[in-house]
Order: sequence, then C-alpha cells, then structure tokens
Amino acid sequence: MLYSVAKLVPTVAQADAALDSRPPLLLPMLVVVPLATALLIAAAPAARARTIALLGTLVALVGALAAMLVFRWGEPGFQLACEFSWLSHLGINLSMAVDSVALMLVALTALLGPICVQASATAITDRVKTYYAWLLILQAAMTGVFIARDLVLFYICFEFTLVPMFILISLYGSTNRKKAAIKFFLYTFTGSVIALAGLVYVAWFNSHLSPAVINAVGAELWQTFPKLGKWTFDIATLEQAAQLMSGRQQAWVLLALLAGFAVKVPLFPVHTWLPLAHTEAPTAGSVILAGVLLKLGTYAIFRFCLPFCPVAVVEYAPLIGVLCVIGILYGGLICWVQTDVKKLVAYSSVAHLGFCILGLFALNHAGISGSILYMINHGLSTGALFLLIGMIYERYHTRSMKELGGLAARMPVWATFMVFFTMASVGLPGLNGFVSEFLCLLGAFQASTAWGSATGITAEGALDQGLWGSAGAAVPGATPGNLGPWFAAIAGIGMIVAAMYLLYMVGRIVWGPLVEPKGHDHAHDGDSAHSALPVDLCGREVGVLIPLAVLCIALGVYPKPALDALSEPVKSVVMTVNAARSTVEPSAMTTAAKEEAAQ
Amino acid sequence: MHDGAAGVTAAGAAASGPWYAMLIPILPLAGFVLCALCAVFRVRSKLPAWITVGLLAASFAVTAAMYSTVQGTQITTVFQWITWSWGSGPGQSFTANFAFYLDGLTCLWMLFVTGLATLIALYASEYMSHEAGAGYCRFFAAFCLFVFSMACLVMADNLVLLYLGWEGVGLCSYLLIGYFYKKPSAVAAAKKAFIVNRIGDLFLALGIMLCFVHFGTVEYKEMFAQAAVYTKAVSAGEIEKVPLVAQLIAVLLMIGAFGKSAQLPLYVWLPDAMEGPTPVSALIHAATMVTAGVFLIARTYPLFLISEYAMPTVAWVGALTALLAATIGMAQFDIKRIMAYSTVSQLGYMFAGLGVLTSVGAAAHVFTHAVFKAMLFLACGAVMHGFAGQLDLRKLSGVGSMPGWRIVNVAMLVGSLNLIGFPVITAGYWSKDTILGEAFANPSMQGVAWILLLTAGLTAYYTFRVYFRVFVGPQSYEPGEELHAQHDDKHQGHADHGHAHDQHAHGEKSGASHGTHDFHPHPPGWAINTVLVILTIAAFAAFWPIKGTSHPSHLGYIGQMMDASSAAYDPHHDAAMYQFAAHKPAPGEPRSHATFFGFDAHKAMMWVSGFVALIGMAIAYFLHYAGRTSATHSRADSWLPAAGPLANWAKHKWYVDEFYDFLIRKPLLVLAHLFHIIDQYLVDGIVDALGWLPKGIGRLIRPSQSGELHGYAFGMAGGLAVILLIVFLVTN
Repeated sequence: MLYSVAKLVPTVAQADAALDSRPPLLLPMLVVVPLATALLIAAAPAARARTIALLGTLVALVGALAAMLVFRWGEPGFQLACEFSWLSHLGINLSMAVDSVALMLVALTALLGPICVQASATAITDRVKTYYAWLLILQAAMTGVFIARDLVLFYICFEFTLVPMFILISLYGSTNRKKAAIKFFLYTFTGSVIALAGLVYVAWFNSHLSPAVINAVGAELWQTFPKLGKWTFDIATLEQAAQLMSGRQQAWVLLALLAGFAVKVPLFPVHTWLPLAHTEAPTAGSVILAGVLLKLGTYAIFRFCLPFCPVAVVEYAPLIGVLCVIGILYGGLICWVQTDVKKLVAYSSVAHLGFCILGLFALNHAGISGSILYMINHGLSTGALFLLIGMIYERYHTRSMKELGGLAARMPVWATFMVFFTMASVGLPGLNGFVSEFLCLLGAFQASTAWGSATGITAEGALDQGLWGSAGAAVPGATPGNLGPWFAAIAGIGMIVAAMYLLYMVGRIVWGPLVEPKGHDHAHDGDSAHSALPVDLCGREVGVLIPLAVLCIALGVYPKPALDALSEPVKSVVMTVNAARSTVEPSAMTTAAKEEAAQ
Repeated sequence: MHDGAAGVTAAGAAASGPWYAMLIPILPLAGFVLCALCAVFRVRSKLPAWITVGLLAASFAVTAAMYSTVQGTQITTVFQWITWSWGSGPGQSFTANFAFYLDGLTCLWMLFVTGLATLIALYASEYMSHEAGAGYCRFFAAFCLFVFSMACLVMADNLVLLYLGWEGVGLCSYLLIGYFYKKPSAVAAAKKAFIVNRIGDLFLALGIMLCFVHFGTVEYKEMFAQAAVYTKAVSAGEIEKVPLVAQLIAVLLMIGAFGKSAQLPLYVWLPDAMEGPTPVSALIHAATMVTAGVFLIARTYPLFLISEYAMPTVAWVGALTALLAATIGMAQFDIKRIMAYSTVSQLGYMFAGLGVLTSVGAAAHVFTHAVFKAMLFLACGAVMHGFAGQLDLRKLSGVGSMPGWRIVNVAMLVGSLNLIGFPVITAGYWSKDTILGEAFANPSMQGVAWILLLTAGLTAYYTFRVYFRVFVGPQSYEPGEELHAQHDDKHQGHADHGHAHDQHAHGEKSGASHGTHDFHPHPPGWAINTVLVILTIAAFAAFWPIKGTSHPSHLGYIGQMMDASSAAYDPHHDAAMYQFAAHKPAPGEPRSHATFFGFDAHKAMMWVSGFVALIGMAIAYFLHYAGRTSATHSRADSWLPAAGPLANWAKHKWYVDEFYDFLIRKPLLVLAHLFHIIDQYLVDGIVDALGWLPKGIGRLIRPSQSGELHGYAFGMAGGLAVILLIVFLVTN
C-alpha cells in the first residue's frame, strides 16, 4: 500500500496451525467483505446502495458468527491465525489472529454493521453512496484493529478509522458538524501519533536487545519467539521484549500509549471531543462511535498497556483509578444538567467508560473480566439509546428535552424500548450492564494489599487478628493491588448518579404530560422527509432494536459462557502483571501473587 | 429447565430441595410474559387480570406444597448465573447461581407474598377496570414482574441473586408508582423512590463485595459456615476477636435494608410512593417489598450477631423511625398517606424487634402487618375508588353507615384494631407485644423499649383518628377530582360503573356539605368485597400461626419456621450475645433479664401495651368522634393551638424533605452546573487553545492546508510513510 504491492502469499503462522482444519481465511474475510462491498456500492446506482450495504454487512455478520462457531473457546492463546507476508524485510506482516476478547469485539462490530445500515434507511437520503461506502470502510478498519497481530497493521487500521468517521460526521451531521469533525479528528489523531511513538520505541527496544539479556531471562524464549532481539512488529514478540524494559522505560511507554488510547476511550480529562462528536454525528455514526470506536481505546489499553508495561501499570494504577473515579462522578453530574438528550447520553459514556477502565486497572480477574464485558455491554445499551434518540430526532427534528416530553402517550412501543435500554444502562441486575459494572467494582474493591493474604492462616487463626483482618489473616477474596474499597465505594456513587440522570431523562421525555415541538402536527404532516414514518416505531425500527434487546437480556441472565471464554486471556494478563508486581514491591507481595507468579 | 436434578449442585450439609420450588418464581414470570403479549396483541378485556390471578394462585399452591415438604435447609439450583473460576485456590472463583435457599424463613415470606399477591391481583382486576386496554396490561405485567423479583429476593441462595430481586422489586415499584405517568407528581415520586433506594443499594452492593473479600463467597451456606467460628467467639464473650471487616459487613447490609424498608434516614420515598394505584400501595409499599429490609437482616442474622455495632443500631434506628413516622402520621389529612407513615412506623417496630434479638417477634409482626395493612390499604382504596379519588379525612364522614359499604367498614375496623394491637383478640397485639416485651426484657435496650411503648399509644391515636372521622359519625362527602380527570380521558371504562357523575361533578364543588348533588359514591363490587372478606378472616386467623402450638418460648408455627432458618437464635445457648452491646459479660454468665418496675417484662407488657392502645383509642374518640357534627371540624381543632408549632411542624413532615433538598440535592445541582461550565470553558478551553497554536503557525504555511478531506488522508498516509522510512533507515 505504501511502498510496494504486498506479496499476498499466505504462510503458515504457527506450527500447529498446519493441523488446523478450520478455514484459514475467515478473519481476512471479515475485513475484505466490507471493503469489497464498499467498492460495489461505489459502482452501483444510488438506489441500490442500502440493499448492497445491508447484504455486505449481513455476510460479514455470518462470517463473524462462523468464526465464533469454529473458535475453540476454552483454549488459551490466539486462534484462526493467518499471515500474509508483506514488508517482511521490515518485520511487517499482515498477521491476523484472535483470542476470545478480540473475537467478542469483532462480533460486536459485525452485529452493529447491519443495524447501522438499517437505522439509516430514512435518515440518510442525500449522497447515499458516499455514506454507505464509508460506513462499510469504517467497519473494515474497526475489524482490522481487533484482529491485527502485527503492530503496524494494528496502527494503520486504528488510524484509518478516523477518516470514515470524519466524513460521516462532517457530511451527514447536524448544525455544528464541521467543528465537531475537525476536533474529533485532530484530537484523537494527535494522541495516536504519540502512541505510535511509544509503540515504535518498543519495536526499537526489541531490535536492540542483546542475546545475553534474553538468555538471562530464559533461553527457551527463543523457541517460542524467534524474532526476539530482531527487528519485528509481531505483537506477541514485542510483548515479551517490552517486559524486559526497566520500570522507567515502561513508565514512558505507558504514558505515550495512554496519550493515544485514553483520548480514544475517553478518559477524564481528555474527553471533550466526545460530547461534541456524538451530538453532531448522524445516528449510525453515534452508534458506531459509542459501540465500537471507544472500545478501540479500551481494547488497546488491554492489549498493549497491560502486558507491555506491567511494572508501570502496577505503579500508576491508583493514578488512573483516580482519573476514572473523577470521570464517573464528573461525567455523571454533567449529564444531569443537560437539556440536549443526545448530549446527555454522550456524556454518560464518559462516566460509563470510567467504570470500564477502573475495572481494567484493578488488575485482577474479576475486574478485567468485568471490564471486557463492559466494552460489549456498553456498546449494546448505549448504542441502542442512540438509535432510540435518532428515531425521535427523525420525527421531531429536535433533541431538546424542553421541547419534548411525555412521549409514552404518543409512542408506547418506543417508550417501552427506551425504558428497557435505560434500565440496561443503569445497571439493573438481570440485564447485561449489571454483570460488568458489578465485576468492575468488585475488582477494584478486592485489589488492595491492605486486605491481607488470600491464603495462609486458617479461619480459626483469623480470630486473633485485629483491624481489617490483615497481617496474616485469611482473606480469601483479596487480591494484590493498590486500589481498594475506597475506589469502589466512591466509584459506586456513580451508580446513584447514573440513576439520577437516566431517570431524569426518562422522566422528561418518556413520562409526564405530552410535549411536542411547536408547529409539529401529526395529523397534517406534509413534510416528505418523514411522511414515511408512522407515529410510533415501524417494523424496521423495531427490528433494529430487537437483537440488541435480546442480547441485553441474554448477557444479563446467562453471562457464564462469556465469563468462561474470557478466563484464559485474562488469566495470562493477570499473571504477567503479578509477576511484574513481585519485582516492584517484593515486600508487599502477597501469597496469592507469589503463587500465581510461580505458576 | 424443569429438570431440577440435572442442575442441582448443592454440596455439603444442605440437601437439594424439591425441583418444583423453581415454579414459584417461574409462574409469575410466565404471567409477566403473557401480560406483555396481551399488550402486544392489544387485548382490551380483563384477560391479563385473570392470567395474573390464576398464575399467582398456582404459585401460592406451590409455595404451600414447598412448606409442607421442606425440612431444614434445602437448595434448589436452576442454573449457573455469574459463576466462573479462574483457578483452584481460595477466592479464585465466583459463584452466584440462580439457586434457591429453602428454609423456614423462605417459606414464611413466600407464603404471605404469593398469598397476598393473589388476593390483591383479584382486587385490582376490579379496581383497575377503568384502565382496560394497554394500561391494564402494563399494570398486570409489572405486577407479575414484581412477584417474580420478590421471589428471587426471598428465595435466593446467595447475596447477588438477592440483589437481583432487590433491584428488580425497585424497578417494579418505579414502574407502578409512575403508573399514572401523565401526572408529574407520580413521575417525580417514582424517580425519588428509585434514587433513594439506590443509595441503600450501593451500601448493599458494597456489603456483598466485602462479604466476598472476607469470606471468599457470597453464598449463604458457605458464609454462615465461616461465620460460625466468629459466633463461637462471641458466645465466649470475646467479640474483640471478630475482625472489624467481618463486623462491617453487617453495617453495610443494614444501610441497604434501611433504604428498601424506608427507615431513617432513607424513609422519605415511601409516603410519596402513594402516588401509585392503591393495590400497588397495598402489595408493594405495605405488605411485601418494604419488608425486604427486615428479610435481609433476618436472612443474614448470623452476620449481625457477630457485629458489635450493627444490632444496637438496627434497634435504635427502628425505634426512632417508628416514633418519627407516627408523629407525622398524626398530623396528616390524606388517609392513604397516614397509612403510609403508619407502614414506616410499623417497619420501625420490626427493625427494633430484630435489634432486640427477637427475630421471631419481628417475623411475626411482618406477617400480621402484611395481612392487616394490606387490608387497611385496600379498604382506603375502596373509599378512594368509590368517592372519585377523595382521600381527605376532612371531606368524608360516616362512610361505614352508607349502603353497600358495610364490608369495607368491617374490614377497616378489624384492620385498625390489629394495627393498634387491641388486646387479646387481634393477631397484631401478639406480634407487637412480643417485640415490646423483649425490648423491656433487654437490659441494654430500655430506651428503645420506652420509645416503642410511646409509639404504640400514638399509633392507636392516628389509626382511630382515621376510623372515627371517615367511617363513623354524620354522613357527609365531597368527591375528589383526581380520578375525574382520568375518567374524562377514558370514557370507555365507565360503561360498567353506571354513574353519570363524571360529566357534572366538576364545576359544582363549592359549599354544600353533601358535595355535589349529582355525585353518587359507588360502593365496591364483588371482587373488592370478596378480597376484603377473605382478608378480614385472615386477620383473625393470623392469630393461629402465632399462638397455634404451645412452643415453650416461641410464637407457634412462625416460631418453628424461624427456628428452622438462618434467623434462628437461641438465647440460652448464645447467652453472652444477649448483652454484648451493653457490657462484656464473663464467660458462662447467665442470661440476665431486665424487669418492668419489678415485674416480668413479658407478662407486664401484655397488660401495659394493651392499656396504652386503649388510651390512644380513647383520645381519638374524644377528639374526633364525640360531638362531631360535620366532616370538616372536630374537637381536635380547638385543642390544636395547645400543641404550639409542633403540630404544624409535624404536618410539614418535620421539613425533612426540604432539609434533604437544601443539604444534598441543591448543592449537587450547583456542582453539576459548575462542572458543566468547567468542562466547556476550562477542560475543553485548554484543548482549543492548544489547537489554536498550530493553526497560528499554519497560517504561515497555508497553501498546504487545503481543508479537503483527501488532503488529511494523504497527510496521514504520508506521515506514516515518513515514520516507516526512518525505521527502515535505522534498521539497515
């Protein structure tokens, strides 16, 4: 693409992959299908654009489902590997594989594809071809981020998501779209360039590793990672190499990576592009933004920050935890005083993603599992909220809660869905949001060395221990870490704040006396743009919401398969971090950490 | 799903329970689904009500079957919920299954929950008839969902599933308080209930987390097994050996219980919750949901027994809430709100009962209160329904002697007698008396005991204030207007009422003591009357489970049920626990009783509490019945100035709502606006300033900034290329 035409020769990535009878091109297909569809849309007449886009996204969805079907969920490591030799003399290859975390996010992306296409049916009537083509390209780029196992491929996809999003916002957004698009682009682009510097530094560090250093760590590493000490962008190799960095180096790399990824998440205080971009974006843009684009940041933190610089992560976890807690409360309270309903939901993402990152930096099993589930769940429930607000906007052309009210009387079906997804967002047990929010908070709660150790003294002996049962008492649920109960308790206030702003929103626009914008009259609606829309939701709109609602219930009632599937990748990250912890704070190291490090 | 044997994983001491126990929540859930389908298919008949009544009755039957078979503690597992493990060591797995913990406590609660829910659904089939259509379906769907959630709460075998039920009932309460969603006050009340409850829920959630950290489990069975070690220490008089963390769990759970059960300082949502339809007030906000806090403490009693501070706090908060709510109830005029404050007050009794270590007395009071308070609400609801939403006791008089209102009158009288604890013949007397007696017998709880006794007198006064004003005396009424607005909205509902009052009654409200001459109250129909008759019988019959068997020191069948549950408490065995709050007794020191002026506290209370109730009733008779000739005025009006500003303050609910608004809501709102401004102008302002910097420089090299999109894309690709080039040069 840049220098030369890639030599598209698939090579076998791993020895055991040769025995793998599963279709090797499944993952590249997930990228190629949307891209090809985009080309097709560009060639086809405008009237057919949406149909083609729908078919293309459905094929991609089937592909993602097939990948989930053949994926061996209980196994550790990456699967469905596929590698094309590209710029191999630079150590750059088109290398793709997924673990369960990546595959879940790929599936989420594929699911939101057809939903976004269907949601745009009546909203987008102008420049249809451009719209759907870029929507499909966006999907390809996002999928690429999740399946990449090569740093350069990852980064290209990561950055390339900006372009389609920029176009979607700036061409199809609301009044202030130009400013929003430019701010979105420049803000996140600036951050990612710094992140690139950090990633390239890791690659450089690896290439300058002397064999003696590696041998000191363990000569067997050569067998698994032959590229160690050579110039490569293979993520697995770099992960090993990065852990050999000193604490100081790791801290700098962490800072650089967070500069890019935290903006994307977005973490307080680098969140201000988000409300603007969300508010101005077209409905499908907001859905993708909330559903997947923000998850690129959280995914990248999980994939790179944690395993690349575990020592620094352990050290700086409280600092990031504080930012998360501030984001949860600050973002939540700002939601409460919004009058633009879309902006309210946009700010709620700042608060919600605070929970997600807090769980991640709890650095224990419950927290990280909860955090990954949070990525999925937030995509489902907030995505659905944006869809619902879009449906209102299409009918009333306003998002102001001063001009809208009591719509339950006018649109009972819409109101039912609105209350349902609000409850999912508020974290009602039985729906998806609860499981992830609870586990994130539980993770933060557990993660404190002050609790004492998880093993050792019998329960009988615990009777002799004083305050907090620490100093040798058995505290089975404690994990090493430096967040602790106060982080969970203060972040937990966010649960109350979430109820405050979400019920405020529902109380305004769903319940109460009916308020409709002046001059809006359903009976004599001559506006051709929405004469196609009935007063309440039409079948297409209900069809868009049903899959999301079903998943919200399914993940809330039976999260076990997802939790089991996440177990292996989370376990490996926790082990890496705990091993690093022992080098940072050997005195404070607990029995549990020692055990896990020894494994 | 119905194959219980396959899913059962119960290990250890607890035997696996009967598979059909899972039907108790599943049947109401099926009811929810069916009612929702009724809404989808636009059913306009009473079908949703009959579905609900039928399925809830079936659920009650299953509960009865469960009660007759379950011995000790049994666990029925349905499926694994938030359950997974990431290692084999302690604390390396999390287990929260959809599993049910069946013991006496579960049986007791589910019996009255499903039983009352069935009756109230039947009542609601008539009460809500003017809402036929989508509203009717919505009502019964939420009703069924409530019973499902309550069943999850009560039957859960772990704290996380309890939390699911806990928040689930909160959601249903939210939906049903806000049932008349066009009314801003109903929407506000619903929101307030949910948010205030969430404050309690946060503490409950933190308590669950602390439980997991400390015990490594959230399952009751495991938890209690580990807590037994601490119990032993407390029995030996060595409470200091229990780590503070373990003691803190009970404190956190306790605050959660205060939220759900409307205790100080989180009681403010319950009176406002009366915005909901009356059957909802009766079922959710009087009989069942609000007792969830009592249930939580009874369920986790082993954790409370090892906490030095939790138990006395529960007792004191309960007593103070009982008193405060009773004083407010004395000064209100809305009969439904009086009943609401009475509920808060009686819940205070139950908490005090738990706190003075008579879990049996508390449970008995929950049971009797559920029956008679539901009956009182339903009687008030019948009045409200018949008088077009009139609830002001100054505008109704002599209802009991009007034609067609006899059953309501009897129900109201029996309910009131139970509520005040009228001696010997009422079940409410026996349950309240147990709590009072136990409080006076506890040497460290004398203050609590006296507050409760005083409250008993106040209770008798405010209860019979309602009865003497509304149900007896000269006949007089004025219709309310609340329901009129709704009736006008929904004319179709009127066909079966046969009263032409709604057209005219509006404008002619002035003056005449008979209200409007066109308005005729319509007495309740068969469904409402049937339910009231059954409940009246049940209120007397409730005497039997309390006194039915002659258990030496306990309350009959209820005592037996509690003994076979987690709330079991043996004062002889756990002698030292009895008074650990006051002082640390030497090991083996016998249980010491406090006395009531030298008399045995229990025996004395049988006389004293009854006497206090009669005094309160007599005062109400004197002030509100004797010599009263109109609905509006009674002798109390001339005595009121003697109370000074106190009466006015009580009428304004001691300004607690205003206080919270000023202290919490307003500052938060200011803070939120402040944050919003900071976000726009400071946090984002810095970004804009930084963004302007390159723009300024950019002006110098303007030609390269075309502003076209492909320019940016090209620039980005170019930038990447440059970086890769550098990399390439470095490596070679």
